[in-house]
Amino acid sequence: MISVQNLHKSFRDKVVLQGIDLEILEGETLAIIGRSGSGKSVLMKHIIGLLQPDSGRVTVDGVDINAISYADLRRIRQNFGVLFQGGALFDSMSSFDNVAFPLRTFTSMTETEINRVVMECLEMVELPGVQTKMPSELSGGMQKRVALARAVALKPRYILYDEPTSGLDPETSTTIDELIQSLSDQLNVTSIVVTHDMHSVLNIADKAAFVHEGKMHWAGTIAELHESDDQILRRFVKANEYLIGK
Amino acid sequence: MKTHSSGFHPSVLILYAKKLILDPIHSFGRYSQLLFRAFGAVPEFGTYRKNLWEQMIHVGIDSMPIVMLAAAFSGAVTTVQTSYQLVSPLIPKSIIGSIVVPSMVLELGAVVTGFILAGRVGARIAAELGTMRVTEQIDAIEAMGLNSIGYLIVPRVIAGIVMFPVLYIAACFVGIGGGMLVGHIGGFVSIGEFVDGAREYFQPFDPIFGMIKCLVFGFIITSVSCFKGYYTRGGAEGVGKATTEAAVASCVFLLLADLVLAATLL
Amino acid sequence: MNISNELKVGLTIITAAVIFILGVRYFQDLPLFATTYELTAEFKDAGGLIPGNLVRVHGVSVGSVETVNISQESGKVDVTFHIDRKIIVTEGSYASVSGIDALGAVRMDLYLGPLDAAVIPEGGRIGVGEGNDLFGDLTARAPDMIEKFSEVLNGLDIVVSETGTLLSEPESDFRKTLASVKGSMAQLESLLTSERTRLSSILLNVEDATGSLKTLTAENGPAVSKLITDLSATLTTLDVELESLGEASRSLNELLAKVNSGQGTLGMLVNDPSMYNKMDSTLDGINALLADFKASPGKYLGEMKLVDLF
Repeated sequence: MISVQNLHKSFRDKVVLQGIDLEILEGETLAIIGRSGSGKSVLMKHIIGLLQPDSGRVTVDGVDINAISYADLRRIRQNFGVLFQGGALFDSMSSFDNVAFPLRTFTSMTETEINRVVMECLEMVELPGVQTKMPSELSGGMQKRVALARAVALKPRYILYDEPTSGLDPETSTTIDELIQSLSDQLNVTSIVVTHDMHSVLNIADKAAFVHEGKMHWAGTIAELHESDDQILRRFVKANEYLIGK
Repeated sequence: MKTHSSGFHPSVLILYAKKLILDPIHSFGRYSQLLFRAFGAVPEFGTYRKNLWEQMIHVGIDSMPIVMLAAAFSGAVTTVQTSYQLVSPLIPKSIIGSIVVPSMVLELGAVVTGFILAGRVGARIAAELGTMRVTEQIDAIEAMGLNSIGYLIVPRVIAGIVMFPVLYIAACFVGIGGGMLVGHIGGFVSIGEFVDGAREYFQPFDPIFGMIKCLVFGFIITSVSCFKGYYTRGGAEGVGKATTEAAVASCVFLLLADLVLAATLL
Repeated sequence: MNISNELKVGLTIITAAVIFILGVRYFQDLPLFATTYELTAEFKDAGGLIPGNLVRVHGVSVGSVETVNISQESGKVDVTFHIDRKIIVTEGSYASVSGIDALGAVRMDLYLGPLDAAVIPEGGRIGVGEGNDLFGDLTARAPDMIEKFSEVLNGLDIVVSETGTLLSEPESDFRKTLASVKGSMAQLESLLTSERTRLSSILLNVEDATGSLKTLTAENGPAVSKLITDLSATLTTLDVELESLGEASRSLNELLAKVNSGQGTLGMLVNDPSMYNKMDSTLDGINALLADFKASPGKYLGEMKLVDLF
């Protein structure tokens, strides 16, 4: 279980987060939605301790991740898989090595075992046969899928997705959405999806949290989202539906 | 309407003071903090060992040809210019050897190698780390539960400290050899005279001092470049800026260290 | 064949280390592969010896000086040095510092003991012999020489002026003789006056040269060293000559003093053949000396001219 309490963060003079509260239960898929620049990605980076809050607490399984040592924090992070916005594949390594990287670093698997796991992961993201390719030889969508394979290689308990579908064509977006959904079903992971794409939210999430102007403006289940009469939320959802042609 | 003031507006002065005094101190503080964290990551070095070999290849072996080329030419030029300046028939030719060898060993070997490494390796490190920063690869490393400083910076700095002396030795070897060869071919000084002169004034501390310089230079170039690259911000432009700054700052601090070492150890 | 990174790096580092060690040994003039032998010698005065200076046996480089330290216990200078193991250093061997400190070309000469004596073990001590820094000696001697020279010349001045006084007196049978004395004296005076400035400027040059000669290397060391040995010998000769010149003028002085003070008369002087002879021989001596000086100034000053080069 991850919980965020009264999180504040500002960069120099710019206030980004001003009092965010959030709770993610085991096994659920939460979508954090909001306009670009509303602080969604910043919130996500706080959850894995990449950024330190000015005030407030982030706890993972009851442990305040800002009150523990760096070594302990890193041990907690090993429970997470993170899919970054641009994929963040290591461009000096082939796709295979990228996926194998966490396995080689954190497990004592033999190369044969690693080979098997990597192939499994690449098949899961429907990209068998790209293992020898360098990231620069892959398209944006393929990069994201390889990055997803890397994120799940260690079978994490939590997966964080930062804008998994942004910048992709609708078809690839749908593929990624399906992947996210099947991953949470297959591996029973807790997922947090940061996105402004309402279409994905409706497809994959159990719950949604709407961040607006650095505050948690609205939170609830997808069913509640459809019924909400909050003006700002409605406008956001509408704009998105219009965009995707619903 | 135009106004002409005879001096700076006070707020401009404060801005300048901040830029000239506070910002460098701030940067130095962040640099020290980074180094401190890097030293902290040394004990878990075993995890990152594989990376070290790769960096040693990049920093050391890949730089070998250009370092040797530059050193050979600086050795040859020193020989030619020394002989050009020696006009008195009373001063023996062998003095050329006793000037070229200590110059190479004490100063040129280390500084020429340093400049090339600052340009070649420093820029490379900053560009690499800068790109990793702006494409969130550093965040990805951290998010996996790895120590990004330990993984990225420690191997580079260690590779710099280990490989710089190796390059220095190559530079001295080739530079002195180049000097001898050009002296011989050009008829300025025979190889025998050159060696005699070098031996007459050879001091065992010279190469040791050169080695000390190398360790310091290797550390400066790699750590300054890592610092610039690791804290890159602002996309492609930020990477470009970090790369330039890394090369320039490495050169400046290298020269400063050169002076400080010469003043304290010689 | 696929060479692993580890292997490449390892090989490079090892190659560099080998080049470094061999390079340093090469320029230290130590044998590249043979091991060396360490010995210590205790000098009263190291004469400018520094680490890295050559150690020679019969003019052949066999090693180099490792450290030069002032010993805490004895207050003397402990010099440790390495030499080629092939050189057998036996009891009775001794070392000396030689070369010219001012030229920066100092070395250590090792004189080996008899072959059948016991071998001095590694790290052992060997005796020291007298070394000499020719140039230093010469420089130290120069001011003395100048002073002595002026003294003699001053003495001669007095003689000449007294002779002049004597000659200004009316008719004398010795006019002719004295005229020749005057001639000789005038010649001597002019010669010595001119030579005095020249000599002192030469000697000053010698001092100046000390500084500029520092740039010379060992290449010229032996030649300069020879030159200076000659110069030193010349000065010694000159010294002796000046001594005799001084003596001659002293006796002349005595003689003239006697004439002047009226001790005996001029007639007495004439009638006293021994006096006459004495004076005559004195003048002959001066003349011969001057003739010699004039005929072959090279004998006195020849080698000195070399010094003018600097």
